[in-house]
Amino acid sequence: MTDTALSLRDYALYYDTATGPVRILDDITLTIGRGEVLGLVGESGSAKSSLANAVIRDLPGKVAEERGAIVLNGDDITALPERALEALRGRRIAMVFQNAATTLDPVQTLGAHLLETLQRHTDLDASGARARALELIAMVGLPDPEAMMNRYPHQVSGGEKQRVVLALAFACEPELILFDEPTSALDATTAATLLDLFRALQERTGVSALFISHDLGTVADIAHRVAVIYGGRIVEEGPVEHIFAAPRHPYTQALLASLPRASDRQTGRGLAASGARPAPRRGTMPACIFSASCPHHRADLCDGAPVRLAEAGDRRIACARAGAGEVLPAPEAPAPLPSPRQDEALLEVEGMQVTYGRDSLVDRLRGRSAAKVRAVNNVSFRLRRGETLALVGESGCGKSSLARALTGLHGFEGTTKLAGQPVRPNSSAWRARVQTIFQNPDSSLNPRHSLATILSRPLRLFRPDLSRADYAPEIARLLERVRLPADYASRYPHQLSGGEKQRVAIARALAARPQVILCDEITSGLDAAVQAAIVRLLREIQAETGAALVFITHDLGILRHVADRVAVMYLGEMVEQCEIADLDAAPWHPYTEALLSSSHSVDPGSETRRVRLQGALPKRTDTLSGCPFASRCPRHVGALCDSARPPLRQPGADHDILCHIDTAELRAVPPIWQFKTPKTTETVR
Amino acid sequence: MSTLRALLKNPQGALGLVIVTALLVIAILGPSLAPNDPEAFNFGSRFAAPSAQFPLGTDWYGRDLLSRVLVGARSTVLLALLATLIGTVAGAVIGVVSGYLGGLADEMLMRVTDALMAIPSLLFALMILAVLGSSAINAVLAIGIAFTPGMARIARSVTLQVRSLDYVSAARARGESLIWIVLAEILPNTIAPVIVEGTIRVAFAIMTLATLSFLGLGAQPPAPEWGLMIAEARTHLFRSPWPVIAPGVAIALVAIGFNLLGDGLRDVLNPKTAE
Repeated sequence: MTDTALSLRDYALYYDTATGPVRILDDITLTIGRGEVLGLVGESGSAKSSLANAVIRDLPGKVAEERGAIVLNGDDITALPERALEALRGRRIAMVFQNAATTLDPVQTLGAHLLETLQRHTDLDASGARARALELIAMVGLPDPEAMMNRYPHQVSGGEKQRVVLALAFACEPELILFDEPTSALDATTAATLLDLFRALQERTGVSALFISHDLGTVADIAHRVAVIYGGRIVEEGPVEHIFAAPRHPYTQALLASLPRASDRQTGRGLAASGARPAPRRGTMPACIFSASCPHHRADLCDGAPVRLAEAGDRRIACARAGAGEVLPAPEAPAPLPSPRQDEALLEVEGMQVTYGRDSLVDRLRGRSAAKVRAVNNVSFRLRRGETLALVGESGCGKSSLARALTGLHGFEGTTKLAGQPVRPNSSAWRARVQTIFQNPDSSLNPRHSLATILSRPLRLFRPDLSRADYAPEIARLLERVRLPADYASRYPHQLSGGEKQRVAIARALAARPQVILCDEITSGLDAAVQAAIVRLLREIQAETGAALVFITHDLGILRHVADRVAVMYLGEMVEQCEIADLDAAPWHPYTEALLSSSHSVDPGSETRRVRLQGALPKRTDTLSGCPFASRCPRHVGALCDSARPPLRQPGADHDILCHIDTAELRAVPPIWQFKTPKTTETVR
Repeated sequence: MSTLRALLKNPQGALGLVIVTALLVIAILGPSLAPNDPEAFNFGSRFAAPSAQFPLGTDWYGRDLLSRVLVGARSTVLLALLATLIGTVAGAVIGVVSGYLGGLADEMLMRVTDALMAIPSLLFALMILAVLGSSAINAVLAIGIAFTPGMARIARSVTLQVRSLDYVSAARARGESLIWIVLAEILPNTIAPVIVEGTIRVAFAIMTLATLSFLGLGAQPPAPEWGLMIAEARTHLFRSPWPVIAPGVAIALVAIGFNLLGDGLRDVLNPKTAE
């Protein structure tokens, strides 16, 4: 027996496709020590999930070629027959998938999932297995294990489901657990509590783990060592603190430079958008996999021998120049452009209420009323000319319902004004001035329309000044403005990458020359560098056109690079509105505080105070007499919170907080971040 | 043009295209390709097996089966195609509009569709013919109308998925007209399953037409309509199988050809798999 739980030696994997073999992974040499958590980070398409699939020996594609060895605690599992693998999976290697909602079988109770695993892999008898299942449920912090055993997956929340999946993974005390983006589908506050739980369980059981994520912040928080994967190869690997504090591979440097940090506003740091292009996957490989995207590529130094992962001091690195001890400068970006904000109010919303659900015919005949969901409850805000207002909140907080109401897609109560005049969102006067960019560029562009068709529609509807002959040059101009080549006009959406599609969606919104652009989660689902580029583009467009933005997001990090003001939503209500600078120090609404604390930072120079939310969300159909946040509030002050609506506190100009706690007390809340060195980005020089 | 080229690269599509093209050529040139008079009796060679003189054999009057199949292609294939086209277009439009509008309009359209689907399509076609009077073109119309509810159901179910996608929301938020949203945003994205279903229905249409002819409501003897030929040959099945096999294989070929073409079109029309 050795000290290594898992080791991969020279592992390579090729899939067979209709158009020839595709390189998925190659030259992978990795070890995970006993009781160690190795983080694996990479952007979408870097084959990080394929690595997990390879380790658990369950490859979804048609394998063309596989080389190398995968050794689990001294046993080579590369060529095990299916029967032996069945005994191995769940028993010695467990896996936690991204989406607990699809991992659990909807027709089986939570208890049945655990009992099945235990009976398959252990010698426990029925009562023993049941006792162990109860113990596991309690271990992952779920209340009332007996009742949980009999619940079905749809009866518990997303966070609770993922806890059950975690219990399943720990059920047979495996030697290794593979985590494939376990928290990506969860809300930030839920993900934070789940990571805390995993960290505690890992320390207690000493299990080894491979933790795959695209979110470097999460990995920084949980892993001991981190491996950065690009194009199916590991490019840099070493202790987390060293890699994140001083990345040396140009790819890692670019990746970290494009991530927002909590200290960005203080240090005036911008997000680098120098993203890497997808790595070559077919044909002969270049000597260095990153050479096509590398800013430091020099043919004489880099293109000689194949560049492989090699020891270099505190880490292993696959770079000819950095590996030889050269220190390459990390990309830097200027601070975000200031927004063209004016004092005059452009868009005003007062007392907006959005409800879902309507009485069915049968209900109406019987004189009953169906329970209605209040998605947005009495929300008022003001957007100034040229300003960016960010709406932040977790899933179900009503931010998307608000966006749909403002787009005219869903009815609402309340008033909306544009430049002082009451205008309804479903009127043509509104549409000509307020445009929306939707969250998912894959579904917001019609796959059957060319970009020319997509962009000509708003021109036809909103630009009566243009004749048909003017469309082609105008479309070329729009494409150019979002930094796409004009000849893209004849392409179809599926021929574009995710970032390019989102640029087209932006161009479509710009075509109408709007005064307000609603951006509904437009950067979620994009890789960090692409996200940074989109945010920079939005800022440039705003500086050029003076448009105001409503930027809806669940990601607090990116806010500092795009927003002037922030509105935090919880359960359909705006619990706090403030200037972006006010986020850096107390007073905060207790929910804002928890939200800020749960966003992970890769900043090695900062320490985050933990604020974790317990408790369950109230039913959306209930009429709440007290504060909506009362059931989960860590600063709950007593019965008052549950019985009375919180008053409006105004600790500063343009700063609104809905809370029973008075301003002085909120102001006394300790800071969330401790920045050890204010200029952390500069230490790498 | 690019669709055609892509179709030729797709193995199923290419084969389907070849079969369907051949059928259409036969449908148009059939009478001039026929080696013999399809209605000439040869009492000396009744129930003949295939030979050089009669490549597919003869029937109970000694009529040349090859000539009859070739001449009959026009009425059979073209009428079936027409009937399917009517049913598909009407059904797709009703289904998409119903699915997109939702609410009361959807409820009413779909309940009417359900009521119509409860009547077997042959019976329904008979009812329509009883109203319109019997003729070949009325039979086509009747089959087209009888196919509409099924098509509407399929188009609606696809529309319900497409309707919730953001590009439809985006079009509504832009204030596009109902006609643009239905015809340009939704319909092209529901077309794949509708086309596949349509190609399968061509074969059904041939069979229904044949049945109507058999009942004396479509083509009349001695017209060499394929369905009618099978119906008539039924009584002579034990003397010789050839009068059933020849038109039967022809119908099967039509069905296979259109199905293959449908599969090919589905792949080619989908911009994601067209690459």
